[in-house]
Amino acid sequence: MTEASSLLLTFLREAWMALAGAFLAFALLAGIAQMLRVSSASVLGANLWVWESVSALLSIVVIGLFAFLGIPQIVNALQSSLPGGGGCGPISELGTLASGLIGGLAALRMLKAAFTSMLSASIGGASTFANALIECGEAIFGMILAGAALPLAAWFLGTC
Amino acid sequence: MFDPIMEQILAIARDAWAFMAGLLIVVALLGGLYFVLQGTAGMAFGGSRMTSMAIIGVVGLVIIVLFAFLFLPQIGELLKNFQPEAPF
Repeated sequence: MTEASSLLLTFLREAWMALAGAFLAFALLAGIAQMLRVSSASVLGANLWVWESVSALLSIVVIGLFAFLGIPQIVNALQSSLPGGGGCGPISELGTLASGLIGGLAALRMLKAAFTSMLSASIGGASTFANALIECGEAIFGMILAGAALPLAAWFLGTC
Repeated sequence: MFDPIMEQILAIARDAWAFMAGLLIVVALLGGLYFVLQGTAGMAFGGSRMTSMAIIGVVGLVIIVLFAFLFLPQIGELLKNFQPEAPF
C-alpha cells in the first residue's frame, strides 16, 4: 500500500510541476498578447480596448500570484487537517493512502482551475476567476468531507 | 513522465513568444510611422494640436513597448521564483 501510494503521489507531483510550468509559460504569452493589444489599440486611439487589456494583464498577474502562493498554502492547511493514519492495520494504511491522494488531486484540480481561468483571461474572454474560485471551493469542501468521512469509515469498519 | 510533454509545450511557447514579440515590434513601428506622418502633416499646415498629439502618441508607444519588453520578463522571473513545489 505504501509503494502504491508513493507511486501515485510521484505521478501527481510530476503532473503538478508540469502544470505549473505550463501555467507560467502561458501566463507570459498572455501577458505579451495583452501588451500587443494595448499597443495596437493605443495607435488606433481605442481607449476602451486599452483599459480592457490593462485590466486583463492585471488579472493575469493576480491569478498567477493566487495559483503560486495561495493554492499551496490552502492545500497544506487542509492536508494537515486530514486524519492520516488513525487506528491500525489495513484501515490505517488505507487512510494514509486516501489522505495523500485526496490532497494531491485537490491541489491539481485547483491549479487546473487557475490555469483555465488564466487562459480565458488571456484570450479576452469573460473572466472565469469566479469559476476558478468556485472550483477551489468545491475541492476544499471535498477535502473537508473526506476529512470527516475517513474517521467515520475507520470507526464503522472497526479499528483496534 | 511529463518531461517530454513539457518540452513540447515549452518549445511551442517559445516560438509563440518570439512571434508575438516580433509582431509587437512591427505594430509599434507602423504606429510610430503613423504618428510621424501625423506630426509632419500637422507641422506642414500649422496644426499644432495635431503635431503635439502625434509627439505624445510616439512617446506613449515607446513607453508601452519598453513596458512590454522590460516589465513582462521581470513578472515572469517573479512568478518563476514563486513557482511552488508540489504541496503534497
